[in-house]
Amino acid sequence: MATMSEKPGNVLAPTLSRRQFIKAGGVLVVGFSFAGTELLKGETKAPSVMRNSLDPTLASSWIEIHPDNTILIRTGKSDFGQGTTFTAYRQIVADELSVPFEAITTVVAGSTDITPDGSGAFDFLGHGTPNIRKAAAYTHQALLDLASEKLGVPKDKLSVKDGIVSGGGKTISYGDLIKNQQLKLTIPVKGDLTSIMGLSIEGNPPMKPVSEYTVIGKSFKNSIISSKVAAKETWATDVRLPGMLHARVVHPKTLGSTLVSAGQVDKTKFPNSQVIVKGNLVGVVAPTEWEVIQAADQVADGTKWTEWKGLPGNAKLYQHLREEADWTSAPVVKSEDSKGDVSPQLASAHKKLSATYQLSYMKHAPIGPTMAVADVKPDGTVHIHVHNQNPQALRGEIAMMLGTTPDHVIVHSYPGPGHYGRSNGGNSGAEDEAVLLSQAVGKPVRVQWMRADDMQWSTQASAAFSDVKLAVDEKGKIAAYQIDHYMPAMQDDRPIGAVLAGLPTMAAPQVHSDGVTTTVNGIEDPWVYAQVPNLIENGHGTFQVGQKASPLAVGLRDHSMRTPGQFQQNYPRELAISEAAALAGADALQFRIDHANEERAIGVLKSVRDASGWDTRPSPRSDAKAIGSAPLRGRGVSLMLRSGTYWACVCQIAVTPSTGVIVVEKYTIAVDPGIVVNPIQLKRNVEGGAVMGIGHALFEEVAFDESGITTEDWLSYPIPTMADIPEIKVVLLNNPKVGAYGGGSEAANALAAPAIAAALHDATGKIMRRLPMKPAYVQALLKT
Amino acid sequence: MITLNVNGARREVQAPADTPLLYVLRNDLQLIGPQFGCGLAQCGACAVLIDGKETRSCVTPVASVASQEITTLEGLPARWAKQKGLSAEAAKNTLHPVQQAWIEEQTPQCGFCQNGMMIKATELLESNANPSLTQIKAAFTTSGISPNLCRCGTYVAIIEAVKHAAEIMAKGR
Repeated sequence: MATMSEKPGNVLAPTLSRRQFIKAGGVLVVGFSFAGTELLKGETKAPSVMRNSLDPTLASSWIEIHPDNTILIRTGKSDFGQGTTFTAYRQIVADELSVPFEAITTVVAGSTDITPDGSGAFDFLGHGTPNIRKAAAYTHQALLDLASEKLGVPKDKLSVKDGIVSGGGKTISYGDLIKNQQLKLTIPVKGDLTSIMGLSIEGNPPMKPVSEYTVIGKSFKNSIISSKVAAKETWATDVRLPGMLHARVVHPKTLGSTLVSAGQVDKTKFPNSQVIVKGNLVGVVAPTEWEVIQAADQVADGTKWTEWKGLPGNAKLYQHLREEADWTSAPVVKSEDSKGDVSPQLASAHKKLSATYQLSYMKHAPIGPTMAVADVKPDGTVHIHVHNQNPQALRGEIAMMLGTTPDHVIVHSYPGPGHYGRSNGGNSGAEDEAVLLSQAVGKPVRVQWMRADDMQWSTQASAAFSDVKLAVDEKGKIAAYQIDHYMPAMQDDRPIGAVLAGLPTMAAPQVHSDGVTTTVNGIEDPWVYAQVPNLIENGHGTFQVGQKASPLAVGLRDHSMRTPGQFQQNYPRELAISEAAALAGADALQFRIDHANEERAIGVLKSVRDASGWDTRPSPRSDAKAIGSAPLRGRGVSLMLRSGTYWACVCQIAVTPSTGVIVVEKYTIAVDPGIVVNPIQLKRNVEGGAVMGIGHALFEEVAFDESGITTEDWLSYPIPTMADIPEIKVVLLNNPKVGAYGGGSEAANALAAPAIAAALHDATGKIMRRLPMKPAYVQALLKT
Repeated sequence: MITLNVNGARREVQAPADTPLLYVLRNDLQLIGPQFGCGLAQCGACAVLIDGKETRSCVTPVASVASQEITTLEGLPARWAKQKGLSAEAAKNTLHPVQQAWIEEQTPQCGFCQNGMMIKATELLESNANPSLTQIKAAFTTSGISPNLCRCGTYVAIIEAVKHAAEIMAKGR
């Protein structure tokens, strides 16, 4: 492992810049070390590689081919249940190297000292060229070069099948080829390892043509499922270190409270417990978990906080966002698809719609509350054992908090509950608290948040509203469409324990901050109705609610969640399109086809029409009504493009006006991701996203008062149960001519809400322009 | 000292009588199948079988189950082997049909809740060898103290896996 140390300074500054790479790299010949990760011993100057990190320019940091022809791959992306690293990544590497899927026996993921590239558990397929594919393609070329030299056969006369190189009547396996050999290969990389995006591999190595894929496209099983099901996997929750103390954190009374005095432990009851206070961070540690839980409850009862009332409360959320929030400090972002002039048509149109659509805050709500084990060593080295979507970014954040450099921080990655985006910026909540408590007691500390901590002190998906104005002409086509999206900053990556302790963190979201923690609201929902002649899409951003008023600079912290930003923009757009179809007296699905140009968009719409048994007619249905105690049926459709994948969904619902209860009876979704890498894994991911989307549409709303979040458990934040799921049909459209694999499963959660709202309109003739569509809200709407 | 009967073995633990069984299993006995999800008996991630009944270990005082038979996820293979009269050698190399079906159907996503789902499925299939869709939905929503919750939304895959497990059990393999 390289041992060159970083200069102290800005810990979030580039650790391996392009400039450094060129200076140090060039045509560097480095060892293809099959034993592991050692730099070639010799005169060659190594590039600047941070201590406790792998050298990303080394091929073996990405892919190791062993003499027995087995292969190990490494990725900075941790698995969060998508299974991509254990299925698609193995398939992609297998095809690029022309080896069987089974040859890739080991996947090393996430941990910062044994993976090369960082970045987060998102965008796994990298728009068709994830890092691991490029690493495999470069390695393949270098192996062919070596084989050419060794066999004395020109490279273009060589072919590879099942890891055996053949040419000129001779053959050699990869394993034999690389025995005691070096590849002349330097992997070109750029980026900042501990930034949210990590490192990316540069250049365009020759890649296998899609027509020659033999592994991609098949339903290989996810290897980690077997070990999880058999209770043989070590989860983050299972990590126990020698001398480790259990801890709980007593979080402030409100999202703006400061500490007056910390409660004491009753030593007669809890003799081994200890209270630790750092600024506004109050922690309790004890050798056993049950003691610390009880002691922390007692300390919480005795801890005094200042009062704070700086939030609007969820009943007044929309009014606050509309009338009080600052929408002027962040520049308005206009989409690249915006075109023409909407004003004349909006003024003179045949039929018009002007409406506002609102979304509530939602929780990521992992099924297990956040936890972490930290071990701060006497020499200042910090080990963190955790389930985190961006371990390398966490290194930077912890180093900043401690005033040290990221090379002192090692993050060990384990499986855990899905986070759905919450930790993609590097922290999930407990890591920094565990580090501070471990530092204070000089022992490893395990911080486990309780359910209420996780509901009330984690980030949430941003609330939002959108204003739509549209005009429909005499021919029943949209003549002009304007949408203005309003959403508070959606990514706050400050570790909460560091904020409470008053230690350095990155800035709270602000107008000019770089990267993703900005108040600027970009357009995240690509326009798919190319036939609309006049279009304006604007994004308006602001600070998080309560962020500026809170003495802790906390307020309602937001974080990207599954289909981030796009969910908030696609819901109003798609419901408005269904409303436009109704204005035009047109069928909502055919209306979409008639406004699209892109063949793949039309393809998913036609597929979902056929698969759902859609009856072509205008909405609302002719017998629509909004009264009675009998269930009324309706259906709606939605369409989305995300990360190179087209999605369309049809929801068929039953709504009972007297109760306001909506039941989704049938859910059909069509997906065209280009190449389907692994059908069973994609199908399972889409089914899950569909179910989560039904929760978003019907139940999920963060309740908060003037002081903080009042949602505290699964009763106050209901998510779908098995009783809520409809008949779900997933149609996978494998489309190899696209030539790439689009992002797979993330987006399925976004499709249900606008389709269900359109179905409610179809059944009742009433439009609900607010999420979630809880029974009480539906009941109230239907009475109007 | 409390003596427990866990997965067919007598285990002695030093823990206050009111300690929730979950912490004893995870911290004292290194049985890590049950997970901490809520501590409130609202989600099912911590479920174990107590005398064959699906029970939330996060709210069950350890002393209250000292005389009963506790089965965790780790104990499902042996439970199946005993029910089928398999040899000790064969038992070592088998999984419970529920576990087999969970793998064959590729049911889990993050998998954090699936301990409870497999425990609930085992309870169901031991009393109803061929449950209908309605009966499966009832088992996972209304039969226990709360519904078994999955945030990844794997309910479709769970239903398919329960049906598949029933087939495996019927064949006795």
